[in-house]
Amino acid sequence: MSNYIIEFEDVWKTYNMGNTEINALAGLNLTLEKGSFTAVMGPSGSGKSTFLHVAGILDTPTKGVFRINGKQASKLSVKEQAKLRRNEIGFIFQRFNLMSQLTILENLTLPMINEDTQKAMNILDNMGLEGKYAKRPGQLSGGEQQRVAIARALINNPSIILADEPTGELDSKNANSIMQILQDLNRNKGVSIVIVTHNPEAAAFTDQILQMRDGNVV
Amino acid sequence: MNLYNLAFNNIRRKKLRSALTMLGIIIGAATLVVLLGVTAGATSAVKAETDQYMYDVVITPASSTGSYLMDAETVSKIRSRSNLFDFREVTAFRENINGNEISFEGVNDWKQVKLKNGTSGVVISQDVADKLGYGIGSKIKVKDQELTITGISNVVQALYVHIDQGTAKQLTDDKVSAIYASTDGDPQTVADEIEEQISGVSVETKSENVAEVQEMTDQALLFMGFIAGIALLVGIISVINTMLISVMERTRELGILKATGFTNREIKGSILFESGLLGLSGGVIGVILGITGIVVIANVLKLTEYIPDMMPLWLILGVIAGATLLSVLAGLYPAMRASKLNVVEALRNE
Repeated sequence: MSNYIIEFEDVWKTYNMGNTEINALAGLNLTLEKGSFTAVMGPSGSGKSTFLHVAGILDTPTKGVFRINGKQASKLSVKEQAKLRRNEIGFIFQRFNLMSQLTILENLTLPMINEDTQKAMNILDNMGLEGKYAKRPGQLSGGEQQRVAIARALINNPSIILADEPTGELDSKNANSIMQILQDLNRNKGVSIVIVTHNPEAAAFTDQILQMRDGNVV
Repeated sequence: MNLYNLAFNNIRRKKLRSALTMLGIIIGAATLVVLLGVTAGATSAVKAETDQYMYDVVITPASSTGSYLMDAETVSKIRSRSNLFDFREVTAFRENINGNEISFEGVNDWKQVKLKNGTSGVVISQDVADKLGYGIGSKIKVKDQELTITGISNVVQALYVHIDQGTAKQLTDDKVSAIYASTDGDPQTVADEIEEQISGVSVETKSENVAEVQEMTDQALLFMGFIAGIALLVGIISVINTMLISVMERTRELGILKATGFTNREIKGSILFESGLLGLSGGVIGVILGITGIVVIANVLKLTEYIPDMMPLWLILGVIAGATLLSVLAGLYPAMRASKLNVVEALRNE
């Protein structure tokens, strides 16, 4: 059993832009331990988001070996990849990506493997959203919406949470509150967390900071 | 909350667009039901009117016998012929009642007797009612038997009593005035053979014109089905259009579903479910409107007794199932597009 939640071995992601090839990931070698809390930083175009998308099996690498919780994603069928995403990975996005037409409780119960409304309400309560189950995302503040997104990410007890600029749309007070929640999840529940951020204050909540440049960790 | 609830939600939240999409299906389904229903009803009416002529041969007593009835022995000889089948017998006779010559006719299919009042069984014409002072419930004595009048027909200027063929035959000691039958041989050859081998009968072959009329009504049914099918097809195309727009508008939502672990198959299933639901709802509403249309048309054309023939179960179920199935098929392409969306690009979509 691997001690690593994420393993990248010489992973490349190449995009063809007309006649030019751009390496978003250029032979990335990286391992992150289970239970780690990591921030990935770097300038725009350094490959941080691509790293997160590949790690979350939202995108496939051009070549190289990538494992999540010991499972090599490229060896799985599309259906198995989707199941792995549902069972093992929780996503948090900069723009929350909640379903605007659903209530926040429905946003949580929709991706649940076994629908359990009580569990969803408990998680929302832990995020300080008690009594707001029937509200729609548009009726909540940005900070509250991001807390709903965190609750959704936790709904299937994932091994890892991948967060893409989770504080990018929030003011500093809400940003700190969100980072505090993530830190508590990591410390108290042992959930591995990787965040991609430009914000050094957010990164300061994590245990290790990786700097990326030109598709690799420097 | 599951993907199917979500699909239902999508229809509900875009009420106007869903309604307009369904309108196409509703119009198509209603047109199909009305056109096919009325044509099927008209076909039934024509068939009912012409069925008595729709036999290959009609056997009656030869005029030389001086009788209008064939005895039981002759009937038995005819019925035992191996190249005849689908027999239908009619017994008609005259009886003097209170100085009036009344025609009694055996009836096999009561649909052919247009009732003014009462029910089938023993039905007198209005003239019999007027001349003899009979009404429903009156007793009429025929060949030493008493029959109770059950209805009055709208046959005018004729002294007619319609009774069940079985009763008519029994009243005449199993005699028959005409036997209609089908044959698997050449009707004319068979007719000649019967006249030769059974004495005292005259055989006629069916009118070709009648066959043509029935063939025409069958063709009319096909043609109307084709026209109405085009109407439904237009409705189905609007489902493809709506589902494609819906998939494009919901690109980001579909990206979220994929990111949260829904499989391509589940996403495809929800899109197909949504389009099928539009088809099913449109089909059901269309059929209800179509049935209403049929009732109105049948009343206008005074064909109300054929209403059950105008809405056969195969038509109702076929239109609903067809609208649903075609809508599911219409959702296939949008569903494939939705399932093949690149998650990262979908999440970036505004």
